[in-house]
Amino acid sequence: MTATTTVGEPVASAPVGRSPRGFDWSMLVWALFATILIVIVVNPIFRLIWESVVSEGGGLTLDNYVRAYGRPRYWQALVNTVVMGAGTALLSALLAVPLAWACVRTDMPGRGFIKLCVLAAFIIPPYLAAVGWVLLAGPNSGWLNRAWMWATGSSQGIFNIYSLSGLIVIMGLHLFFFIFVFTSSALELVSSEMEDAANVLGAGPVTTAFRITLPLIMPAILGGLIIIFLQSIALFAVPAIIAIPARYPVVTTQLTEFFSNNRVDLAAAYSLPLLLITMAMLGIQRWLLARKGFSVVGGKGGERRIVRLGPWRWVMFGYALLVAALSVFMPLVVLVQAAFSKAWGRGFALDNLTLRHINFILFEHQGAVPALVRSIVYASIAAFAALTLALVIAYMVKRNLVRGGQALAFLCMAPFVIPGIILAIGFYAAYAPPPLALAGTAMIIVVAFTTRLLPIAYQNSSAGITSIHIEMEEAVRILGGGRFTAIRRVVAPLLKRSLVGAWILIFVPACQELSTAIFLSGPNNRVLSVLIFDFSEEGRFEQLAVLGGLLLIITVIIVAIGFRIVGRDFMLRRQ
Amino acid sequence: MYITRRQMGLGAGSIAAASLIPTTVQAALSADAEKALYEAAKKDGELTWYDAHHAAELAETYGKKFSEKYPGVKVNVVRTTANVAYQRLTQELKAGGPQCDVLSSTDITHAITLKGQGQLEKFTPANGATLTKALQNIDPDGFFHVTSIGTIGITFNSAKVKPADAPRKWTDLIDPKWKNQVSVGHPAFSGYVSIWVWEMNRLYKWDYFEKLKANNPQIGRSIQDTLTMLRSGERSVAAGSLATAYESKAKGEPIDVVNPEDGTIVIVAPSCIPKGAKRPNAAKLFMEYMSSAEASRIAVESFGESIHDAVKPKAGKPLAELKTLIAPPDKLLKGLAEVKENWRDTFGV
Repeated sequence: MTATTTVGEPVASAPVGRSPRGFDWSMLVWALFATILIVIVVNPIFRLIWESVVSEGGGLTLDNYVRAYGRPRYWQALVNTVVMGAGTALLSALLAVPLAWACVRTDMPGRGFIKLCVLAAFIIPPYLAAVGWVLLAGPNSGWLNRAWMWATGSSQGIFNIYSLSGLIVIMGLHLFFFIFVFTSSALELVSSEMEDAANVLGAGPVTTAFRITLPLIMPAILGGLIIIFLQSIALFAVPAIIAIPARYPVVTTQLTEFFSNNRVDLAAAYSLPLLLITMAMLGIQRWLLARKGFSVVGGKGGERRIVRLGPWRWVMFGYALLVAALSVFMPLVVLVQAAFSKAWGRGFALDNLTLRHINFILFEHQGAVPALVRSIVYASIAAFAALTLALVIAYMVKRNLVRGGQALAFLCMAPFVIPGIILAIGFYAAYAPPPLALAGTAMIIVVAFTTRLLPIAYQNSSAGITSIHIEMEEAVRILGGGRFTAIRRVVAPLLKRSLVGAWILIFVPACQELSTAIFLSGPNNRVLSVLIFDFSEEGRFEQLAVLGGLLLIITVIIVAIGFRIVGRDFMLRRQ
Repeated sequence: MYITRRQMGLGAGSIAAASLIPTTVQAALSADAEKALYEAAKKDGELTWYDAHHAAELAETYGKKFSEKYPGVKVNVVRTTANVAYQRLTQELKAGGPQCDVLSSTDITHAITLKGQGQLEKFTPANGATLTKALQNIDPDGFFHVTSIGTIGITFNSAKVKPADAPRKWTDLIDPKWKNQVSVGHPAFSGYVSIWVWEMNRLYKWDYFEKLKANNPQIGRSIQDTLTMLRSGERSVAAGSLATAYESKAKGEPIDVVNPEDGTIVIVAPSCIPKGAKRPNAAKLFMEYMSSAEASRIAVESFGESIHDAVKPKAGKPLAELKTLIAPPDKLLKGLAEVKENWRDTFGV
């Protein structure tokens, strides 16, 4: 099955009518999933809004908002957060788009290797990268600075990780995977006909790339930009490690101030404006894409050809290697060094080697291995649940099966808006008190993870379904198959590759998720990310590195298994 | 009855005097009572301990040694900073049932607040009678008890700073010659740091921190972050915990300690059992254990302070010979909230 681009056609089609055979069972299925969605998303959000407008005595009040924004410092944190998010999104786009283009559409050498490196950058959790960068670029003690001081004889380093730029670099390097994946997927489906036409008319490869290819993949890039913005503003551990010493208050660190005084109401009031900002952004995205049709997989044929870069392909490869080094190799090297060191600061000396920390983590520390197992189990369950829910809802929305589909789509995206830490509070308020009494249980974390990651699942599912033109399902219907047959025989196989990709895209963050888990964590459901964070508070970087290494190894194994199941590397181009 | 400096001095002085006496201490918990409590605890089977007193390894050691002494009773060790532990516990209490069975916090105001809200079980460990006189009955009503004391002093990287040049008093840290070299924690995250901030405020007023800000200190979270900064060479001097500094020094790391001339800060840290704890008997047995001389011996092995006269600390001068600063808990209750707010205003985080 090859692809073609059709620009200018509307994506939505009229709802396909009920089967003449009587009661449409599919409506029941849609209703069920819609209900589940409403319950798991609306309930915590509702509790949040409720907490923010209810006073101690029980009456309604706006007092909490006044107090939450009463000091200039609180405003400053909000502004800082937006700046940080925007910076991260831009950096990610700058890194990812050229890389994606190079990997998918050009003859750059080592494409497969670079794709693996990008995947590795995604697998490394941001807080682990933050610790790695502290070891690399701490102003006096970081390896890079020490190398600089040794090479130039200067008494000061040149990199200071404890700064806004440090924050943006760490986040950008570890979140750019999203834009890379979306852009790659979009590029894979764009046929060369358009580009050929441009070439015939005299445009070189660069002009073609900017004026033809880029607009075609713009929705993917925009979708990615928004996701990165939302991911970065919701991170908790990276700001805790970097932004506090950098004296750069952001919303998540500000929220800890409210929590440590147990002012859930203030915290709720504080976070709602952020919700408004994101709603605005999603609205802009929708408006931008409203007038153009982007269905790219149709029933007609097409062909993709590689752009030849000539000698420039080595330049491109060099750039790709630089990005890979910054996002993967350098932090990994220092973390591995720390894991095997008696004291990481003493460097690569032979007498500094030890297996002590590995021994402690695996055999002496009571909590480490159970936490690891929990992380994997919870993440797997959450990924399956989120993907199932998202696919069903996306199908319902894109095929216009129910009225108010846009509301459902909004609900799917809504959890993304709320920082994980606040969503966790909403969850706690909604599910912890009796009769449910789910506090500190596995259930509450799994449901929280599922909700938290629903937006990614939905974004993926929605993009996948959007790219499949309805004409193929209509063909099935014309030939006498029901809707479920169409889904089973046509839609599902087409989506199969992106499904596995989507599962990995959800599993990996779920495995590493910290912001949501930190507040729902009790002794019985403590996951590895929370344990790592607790260690980071004590500065036990060596043991933290071992924990991080374990997490990475397990994640890599599961991702590798995922690839085997699909049968081929999902990131390489199909032949 | 709260500890006065004189009483602390007397207590510590008797440690020095007791160095000639063999270090076994008669437990005040009778063997029969212990057996009965142990049987009851075995039925509970395990307990969950929120510990802010100790570093992760030491906390795990306590858990292990307790289970070795009392087989059949497991300890789920959850080590976090004081505020995180307190937050989690209060959320649990609000939700209707604590997961935690014993809370060991470095912030005595947490215990005072919980007591005031009626959220603690009343229990006085019999072994409490073996503690240094001055540390006994810190809460006359018997809801919380001292299970650990800690000290904060000036720590420095001895490879970068010669002992002769090291700061001698707290006011040296605001001297411009230490600009870009100081490391501190954050009072809103760490119980230890909040008390240090309170004491500095008491001695020198908030002006101290305005001047400290001019010195561009590295602000971390826990008090142990300061040790990391020193170890890595990122900063050279810090307001740090002496126990972990001594431990580092004994391992051969370039860390050294100064007992400041204007006072070594002593943190009195209590443990308590939350009301409605699921495994009260195991919790009580654990409290007895933490009040026993063996607990002090374990602490002292890791260069911590001892709460029993007969168990001597391993490094540093006995507290009796030093100028010490101990905050009255009743003043702390309001004072800590204030200094945390001022800190955020001054430093922006």
